[in-house]
Amino acid sequence: MAYSKKVVDKFEDTLNNPQAFKVGRFDPAELNVGTGMVGAPACGDVMKLQIKCEPKGNSHVIKDVKFKTYGCGSAIASSSELVEMLIGKTLEEAKAIKNIEIVEALELPPIKIHCSVLAEDSIRQAIEDYESKQ
Amino acid sequence: MNKQITFNSKSENLNIVDSLIEEISANFKMSDDSYANILIALTEAVNNAIKDSTILVSVMHINNELGTLNDIDGIGKITREKGIFFHVDAAQSTGKVPIDLKKLPVDLMSFSAHKTYGPKGVGALFVRRKPRVRIEAQIHGGGHERGMRSGTLPTHQLVGMGEAFRIAKEDMKQDIAKIKRFHDMFLDQVNDIEHVYLNGDVANKVPNILNVSFNFVEGESLIMGLKDIAVSSGSACTSASLEPSYVLRALGRKDELAHSSIRFSFGRFTNEDEVLETLSILKNVVERLRELSPLWEMHLDGIDLDTVEWKTH
Repeated sequence: MAYSKKVVDKFEDTLNNPQAFKVGRFDPAELNVGTGMVGAPACGDVMKLQIKCEPKGNSHVIKDVKFKTYGCGSAIASSSELVEMLIGKTLEEAKAIKNIEIVEALELPPIKIHCSVLAEDSIRQAIEDYESKQ
Repeated sequence: MNKQITFNSKSENLNIVDSLIEEISANFKMSDDSYANILIALTEAVNNAIKDSTILVSVMHINNELGTLNDIDGIGKITREKGIFFHVDAAQSTGKVPIDLKKLPVDLMSFSAHKTYGPKGVGALFVRRKPRVRIEAQIHGGGHERGMRSGTLPTHQLVGMGEAFRIAKEDMKQDIAKIKRFHDMFLDQVNDIEHVYLNGDVANKVPNILNVSFNFVEGESLIMGLKDIAVSSGSACTSASLEPSYVLRALGRKDELAHSSIRFSFGRFTNEDEVLETLSILKNVVERLRELSPLWEMHLDGIDLDTVEWKTH
C-alpha cells in the first residue's frame, strides 16, 4: 500500500505517543460523554470515538475527545486526524465535518476512502449519543 | 468436450487459481466444492472432488502462506489409480524439502528460481515421459522443447537457476537446521504474547514460514508498525480485493483472525540477532496496537465480541 507521508507520520505518531494523540476512554455512562462506535471486526476496522462536551450559549462545545481504533494504518490515521479537528468545535460545526476533509488532509488513496467515511460516521454517532442524554 | 479442472484445496495459491481461471475456456467448468483442513489438501478431499470428467489435479507442494505440506504421495496414489494427471506447484519446496522425481507420483511439477535465491524471471516445468503427459504450448512459433514451448532460452537465467538449485541442495541440511532453530525460538517467544494463534499445523510444515494471528490487532497496521521488518499479512487491507486471506478462511479462521495474521519467514541469510530484534519490536508493537484497539478494550472488559451487534459499513 502506497501511503502518503502524512498517513505514515500520523499513524506512527499516534502509535508512539497515544496519550498526546487522545487515545483512551471516557466513562460512557457520564452524561457529558457521547460515544460512537462503527465498523466490524470482520470487515477489518472498528472505530470508537468519545466526545466530552459542555453547554455554551445555545449549543454545546467539544472540550475533549478520546478514541480507539482497530484497523489498517489509514483507519488509525483517519480517526486520529478527525480527533484533532474536533476539539473546540460546537456540535453543529462537528456535524458539518465531511470525510473529504480527512481524505485531503491525509492524501488518502482511493481504496482507503472508506476509512474517512467510517471516521465521519463515528462522530455522527457520538453526537447522537450525546444529544440523546441531554 | 466438457472436462473439469479440479482444485483440491481451498487454500490453493491465488496466482495459480487466477491463471487457471483465465485459461479455462467455455468448455471447462471449475469445481470448488472441496474441503480444507489443517492438512490443506486431504487425500480424501481430492478423492471426493474428482469426477469422471476430471483430467487434472493441481495442488501446491507447500502452502505459501502457512508453510504446510500437502500429502503429495497420498494424492498421487489416487490420481495414478484413476488415470488423472497430477500437477504440483513446488515453488516453495526447493531447498526446503528433498524432491525426488523418481519417487514422487507426480506428472508435472513446476519450480521457480527466485524462491531459492536464484534469478527472477525463470522457472522450470517437469513433464513426465512415462506415463507421458502431452501438454499444449502456450507460446507458439519454432516448436522448441518438443513443441511444448517455443522461443530461445535465456542461458544466463537458466545457469543462474541451476546454480541456485545446486547450492540449495548442497546447503539444505545446514540451512534447515539453522532455520528450524530460529523458528522454534521465535514461536516459543511469540507464544508468550496473549491471544496468539499459529496458523497451520506445526508438526506438518516447513520451518522457514511461520504464520501467526494476533487477535485484536489488524494485520496491515501491524505491518506498518513493524516498518523495518519485511513481513506479509492475510489482512484484506494488503490485498487488492479487500477480502481477507482465503487460505486462512478455508482453515476455518474467523475473518478477524484472518485480518490479524502475519507471515514471518526465515532464510539462509537470517541471523540470530535479527530474530531477537524482530521479537522485541513485535512484542512492543502488538502491545501498542492493542492499547489502541477498542476490541482489546472490550475483551479486557469481559465482553464476548461474537455477541456484539456490529454496525457494519
